[in-house]
Amino acid sequence: MVNWAPLVPPVADQVISWLVFFFGLIGPIVIILGLIGIRGFMEITRFEKGESVLYKISPLTKLILVISTTIAVSLTIWWFGAILALIYLLLFLTLNNPGKKILYASFLTFSTSLGVVSSFSFYTPYYILTQAIGTDTLHVIWYWPSYFVYMGYQPGLTLEALYYGFQVAFRFIAPMLSGLLLIITTTPSDVLRYLEKVKFPLVFIFALTVAMRSIPRIFDTLDTIVKLQMMRGLGYGKPKALRPFYLLLGGLYGIVPTLIFLMRQAKYTAIAADTRGFNAMPKRTYMKPIVFNRLDYIAIGLTLLLYIITAILLIIGLGRGIPYIGF
Amino acid sequence: MSFNGIGFYTNKPGEIPVEVIAAYFIIALVVVFIFGKRTGGLKAFKTIDWVYIGIGAAAAYIWQFIIGAVAGGAIPSGLTNFIQIPFWGRIFIIFIVAGLVRKVGVGMISLFLFDLLSSLFHYGFSGEPMFFIYEALTYGLFIDLMIAFTGGKIFGLGLTKGPTYVNAISALEGAILGVLWSIPDPIFFYGFFDPFIYGAIVNWSRILFILVASIPGDVIVGILAGLSANRVGKAVQV
Repeated sequence: MVNWAPLVPPVADQVISWLVFFFGLIGPIVIILGLIGIRGFMEITRFEKGESVLYKISPLTKLILVISTTIAVSLTIWWFGAILALIYLLLFLTLNNPGKKILYASFLTFSTSLGVVSSFSFYTPYYILTQAIGTDTLHVIWYWPSYFVYMGYQPGLTLEALYYGFQVAFRFIAPMLSGLLLIITTTPSDVLRYLEKVKFPLVFIFALTVAMRSIPRIFDTLDTIVKLQMMRGLGYGKPKALRPFYLLLGGLYGIVPTLIFLMRQAKYTAIAADTRGFNAMPKRTYMKPIVFNRLDYIAIGLTLLLYIITAILLIIGLGRGIPYIGF
Repeated sequence: MSFNGIGFYTNKPGEIPVEVIAAYFIIALVVVFIFGKRTGGLKAFKTIDWVYIGIGAAAAYIWQFIIGAVAGGAIPSGLTNFIQIPFWGRIFIIFIVAGLVRKVGVGMISLFLFDLLSSLFHYGFSGEPMFFIYEALTYGLFIDLMIAFTGGKIFGLGLTKGPTYVNAISALEGAILGVLWSIPDPIFFYGFFDPFIYGAIVNWSRILFILVASIPGDVIVGILAGLSANRVGKAVQV
């Protein structure tokens, strides 16, 4: 153990530790509910018509890019995942209403990193860290009050624990952002047209289409139900700072009515599909042909470049610099 | 050797032997095949069943990764083995879908679609196809076995007895499924898939602790989910 912790007066270290504790606990909730909100999630999880470059790439190419990103970040050091995440975040600027979208995506990225990094780096035992990083020397950058161990904290926060937290966090963030870009710029039926071409069963494609269409509808219905509860007095007269918690409570209360509302409407979707001859034949036909254009070839080229960079990082010893070994 | 983030580590200390896991999944697949033959397989599903499954998978995804993940973040880490808000929401939603469809296969298909959505939106297919196999043939299969065992009258839906009896049956089946749903995460995931895919360290004291700690909460939520599945089933069928 190497002590790199700053010297802080006794009371100040308690205050700072508790502030960090509460920020790790409440920060993601405030960001998600207070800054993104149910409407914000709807905005970044549904298809929107557009003309930008991402709309012109075929869904299959985008799907390949999502999967390749996942492979690349799972094999390489955390900061490569962070660079990819930043590139995908900047690609939100090419969408409609870019300011709002990049803001929501940034909040989601920040809250996910904050949640994952704090939940891993504060709690991961030292023996796991030494095995993950392959060193016996840990650098302590902050000592928690001794009673924090009863909450599952390690005695001190180490630099290696932070690296470990980032390694785990960036396994999710770049794939998550690339997945959101795919969903925003591609209609569910386009994704599924390509899935059918790779012999995915038709009934699963139908259910997946319903699911993808349902995600923004669930947010929409839940938003209405939460607002109705607010109108009936949930959180009335309480301080504004507590609003995200009442929003969360309303969301918890609202899940069963939301499901009943959506499931009762399911029969109309089923009738509509049946009247169009759904599943009457083992195969279906398509109006739109599946085509690849110049942008697809460029995107495939970039995907190959991603693999080449991954290979180079692996060769020079930056592959999975700190493996996630499970805690 | 590595494929899509799967390290194929089979010799980690304490890891369940791959033969045991393979045997379970082979038996599970045989069971699925037999049930499929008996019940008409996917052909027995109507269009509305696929719509229910689609909506349920979407709701489970939203709960697990957005609402439940946020709500779960407020639970101090030391208590997360006892209070698993994201997972409890999944229990709730999948049980409700099972109550609406009531055909063998709904559990496995719902879990498969849930995984597909999770991969599309969150994980980017990391570790697949291991998670498809693992979740569909554990959590999903348990639900389907219950549907087969109750003759399609899971959570008291379709029974013609009085409300007290029906509620007791819904609660009992929910409780049994709650116990069964407590098993895969500690035993299958931490005992095999975590080391197999990521090379994680296997700690059997921790696995047994997670198993014991998660059962009470999962049983209580299973009971509530069973009763809710009965209520939602009735409300939707009106």
